[in-house]
Amino acid sequence: MAPEDTCTAEPYRPYGAEIKETRPYSPCRAACPAHTDVQAYVGLIAQGKYTEAFEVITSVNPIASVCSMICHHPCEQSCRRCGVDEPLAVRHLKRFAIEKSKDYRRAKRKLVQKTKGKSVGIIGSGPSGLTAARDLADLGYSVTLYEKHPVLGGMLAAAIPPYRLPREVLKEDIDDIISKGVEVKTNFEIGKDAKLDDLAKKHDAVLVAIGLSLSRSLNIPGVEGPGVLLAIPYLEDVAFGRKPALGKKVLVIGGGNVAMDVARSARRLGVQNVEMVCLENEQEIPAWKWEVDEAVEEAIKINYRWGPKAVKRENGKVLGLEVTKVLSVFDANKRFAPTFDNNVTTLLEADTIIITIGQMSKNDLFDDSSVKMDKGRVTWNPATQMSSSKNIFVAGEVVTGPGSAIAAVANGRRAALAMHLYIQGETIEGRLPAQEKETIAQMPSEVVEKISKQPRMKIKHLAPEVRVKTMDHFEMGYSEAEALEEAGRCRGCGGGAVVDQKKCMACLTCMRVCPYGAPVVTSVSEIRPEYCQACGLCAPECPAQAISMVSYDVKEIRNSLPTIIGKVDADRQEPVIVALMCTHHAKVIGVPNNVKAIPVHCTSRIDILDMLKAFESGADGVAIIRCGSGTCKYRDIEPRVNARVKRVQDLLGMLKIESNRLEILSAASNNGGNPYSALCADFSERVKKLGLRARK
Amino acid sequence: MVKDFKKVLVFGCNTCVAICHAGGEKEAETIATLIRMRAAQEGKQMTVNHLGVMRHCEPEYFEPVMDEVKKYDLVLSTACGVGVNFLSDRTGTVPVYPGINTSFYGAVEAPGVFKELCAGCGDCIVHMTGGICPVARCAKTLMNGPCGGTNKGKCEISRDVDCAWYLIVERMTKLGTLDKLSAIIPPRNWSTARDGGPRRISMEHIREFEEKEAAKTETAGGKK
Ligand SMILES: Cc1cc2nc3c(=O)[nH]c(=O)nc-3n(C[C@H](O)[C@H](O)[C@H](O)COP(=O)(O)OP(=O)(O)OC[C@H]3O[C@@H](n4cnc5c(N)ncnc54)[C@H](O)[C@@H]3O)c2cc1C
Ligand code: SF4
Ligand code: SF4
Ligand code: SF4
Ligand code: SF4
Repeated sequence: MAPEDTCTAEPYRPYGAEIKETRPYSPCRAACPAHTDVQAYVGLIAQGKYTEAFEVITSVNPIASVCSMICHHPCEQSCRRCGVDEPLAVRHLKRFAIEKSKDYRRAKRKLVQKTKGKSVGIIGSGPSGLTAARDLADLGYSVTLYEKHPVLGGMLAAAIPPYRLPREVLKEDIDDIISKGVEVKTNFEIGKDAKLDDLAKKHDAVLVAIGLSLSRSLNIPGVEGPGVLLAIPYLEDVAFGRKPALGKKVLVIGGGNVAMDVARSARRLGVQNVEMVCLENEQEIPAWKWEVDEAVEEAIKINYRWGPKAVKRENGKVLGLEVTKVLSVFDANKRFAPTFDNNVTTLLEADTIIITIGQMSKNDLFDDSSVKMDKGRVTWNPATQMSSSKNIFVAGEVVTGPGSAIAAVANGRRAALAMHLYIQGETIEGRLPAQEKETIAQMPSEVVEKISKQPRMKIKHLAPEVRVKTMDHFEMGYSEAEALEEAGRCRGCGGGAVVDQKKCMACLTCMRVCPYGAPVVTSVSEIRPEYCQACGLCAPECPAQAISMVSYDVKEIRNSLPTIIGKVDADRQEPVIVALMCTHHAKVIGVPNNVKAIPVHCTSRIDILDMLKAFESGADGVAIIRCGSGTCKYRDIEPRVNARVKRVQDLLGMLKIESNRLEILSAASNNGGNPYSALCADFSERVKKLGLRARK
Repeated sequence: MVKDFKKVLVFGCNTCVAICHAGGEKEAETIATLIRMRAAQEGKQMTVNHLGVMRHCEPEYFEPVMDEVKKYDLVLSTACGVGVNFLSDRTGTVPVYPGINTSFYGAVEAPGVFKELCAGCGDCIVHMTGGICPVARCAKTLMNGPCGGTNKGKCEISRDVDCAWYLIVERMTKLGTLDKLSAIIPPRNWSTARDGGPRRISMEHIREFEEKEAAKTETAGGKK
């Protein structure tokens, strides 16, 4: 038998991951159902570390490419930058990092050894099923995925229209998962092709992740017959390239996001005249605001506050929908309880009506199984993800109800862990991670005032008249310059300064230094995370070296300089230059070969010891490269850095090392094609004139 | 000062001198780096490391690191002179050199500005001089100033130095206690200051307790 646990692939951990678990989460991370460490990966993108960002994202979310296209991004809705100007474009940055990691991820795909000697069966290949499959395969189980459709992906493959989610993107995620050695049985419907209880005997544990694959219909006169379609079968036709039978005037009933997909894909199938009708008004409509806006751009008319009464037909042919005026949708307790004015009715003309008012699960696989049902729903225990039958687990929308793909991912992860614990004979209760996390408070107003406004980098779309002509994806990705600029807007919430209270001797320095008033010193210093902007200015100033940063190792630069510089050739022709440069310029291309560029998120983190170490390790010159005045994303950094440089110049003077071997360089612009390589080259020339430092 | 040693420890003190950005572990590390760089320039083989403890003026802080400290040929202490002496008394054959010039004991007037305010004379009179010490703050340590050198509130030795007696008069006028200055006070006994030789204070209540405890452990079977 294969040895136990040899290949439980440890997920990539960014610096500070452990400390973060002991502290409140950044709001973006707390809001993401899978608790993706947004602060970490946006920070990595800002440093040009795209594949590392990919690792952070996929460590908790195996369908990251999909989410990078269609996630409703609750992270953005709770971004602390909202209080300053606009939220970070987190989803779009994710898309950028993932697109940049395409070759990397493909090269990484490999079989995972099945070390556990146990097998699991997963029914349904939507986000929850795929996630559980990935996690369990990584743990060394043999995994079989059963899917009734001919392709994997659940609603991602069968319902979400391709103009929002290109199928190549979904394929990348699925290929990552399948390559681990997951066995796939498509066109295989449990309840029809095999019985649930038999599967539960065949495998050590089974997961039911069947989602909500049936559309709800309306119980109104005239609804039966041709010309009235249901959303899911219609969307499946669209997804699988079968032309649904649409007339010239389509009316979509419903105001949710699925209704938007139905209406917008009808436009793309060539229907000029698409209208929607919903109970709600513009404020109440459940669809995301951006969906509504984009639909309106695509010339879709939304009829607000009308309730369906009857489908009008003539000789069987649909004429339209008779609707009644809605007076209110919710009662005083905000519960859904629509009231109507039956005296006001009208006819909305249409030859095709598509009903999009919600979904339910297709439960026939439970019919002759040991799993208990209650009022048409599976009974389950959210604390263990278990159904009433002992080795049958449940996950995703079939039990949580309708939500988002990322919520299904999060639930799939819990289920996978529960199944693992179960098979290993351990208790599950109390072992599954808490879903709600404590978060850092929003920024106090005195901090918001100190942050300069920088608008969010625009996400470009194809023009409405162009995009409605095809099913093609209509949203453009960021260019590298755009992504770096956008990532630079992140305030690094939760990645900032922490005081080691054993070392702090309450000298007050951090309190005096911090531009944002984050530290309060009583008996020792305490840095308030809701104030801290993670600029890094305080740590090098602390005389007790008591301050560390959550998101990076404050000693990393000085510790790695000897390796970065390597052995200095005594007969070198060109000077050895170390360039410590602000990340806004991290992607400097074409710096001369003799220049060792070390990106920093801000020059504020550069310590006197870092500069000295560069010289000690053999550098002939050290350049500190920063944004031109006024473009720094933090404030009050420059004078402190200037003072540190001056101090080092004085210390170097004691060793008779010319002070102009250490210089601060800056240039006005920090966009894409930049002047920093030229700055480096000039500096290198100046240092060369000073001569190369000799060593005895 | 250090170039003839092969193994040097720059030893920082993480309390007062660290607060003054002068001799904490961070400064010790900076000095160690500079010494290494100089050694490299001169082609000398030298090991220079750094270390720090919370205080150099209480023996308990040395205990956990003393074995390490004694491995060096030289210890350069960046504590104040008190710490240098205190450490030197405890390192046996390893010499201890001062890593900084201890100048005075002062307050942080503003970040990075330190000002001498007390001379530790052992016979405090500040209650009679408006809270301002003429021993430390008057260039001539006058007990009956100001002298003729006072000039618009400044001392004749430098425009940057306040005249302590000017300050005293101003402050006492404000407090309404200026008349106290006309009282006749006996001459000072300077033997409580440096003039009386090295000073030592023993706090009786603490010593009494400590000695009793020590006696107890002795009768209970000797010291550990
Ligand atoms: C039109 C539409 C648009 C959406 N848009 C978004 C969006 O933009 N952003 C977002 O975050 N979320 C979106 N969602 C929601 C998202 O798709 C779901 O949250 C997610 O797919 C739920 O995942 P799941 O794993 O629970 O189930 P599903 O994705 O529904 O997967 C269940 C799978 O189980 C299979 N199955 C069912 N019964 C059986 C059986 N008996 N035997 C074998 N296989 C079976 C099904 O064929 C299906 O493949 C959208 C949903 C729809 C319908
Ligand atoms: S998965 Fe969605 S919520 Fe989570 S970080 Fe990505 S975009 Fe935000
Ligand atoms: S600024 Fe960055 S870390 Fe802070 S909430 Fe927004 S995305 Fe998250
Ligand atoms: S600078 Fe360092 S030692 Fe001083 S108060 Fe802040 S954390 Fe404490
Ligand atoms: S100086 Fe910067 S890193 Fe330090 S506490 Fe203030 S905001 Fe945070």
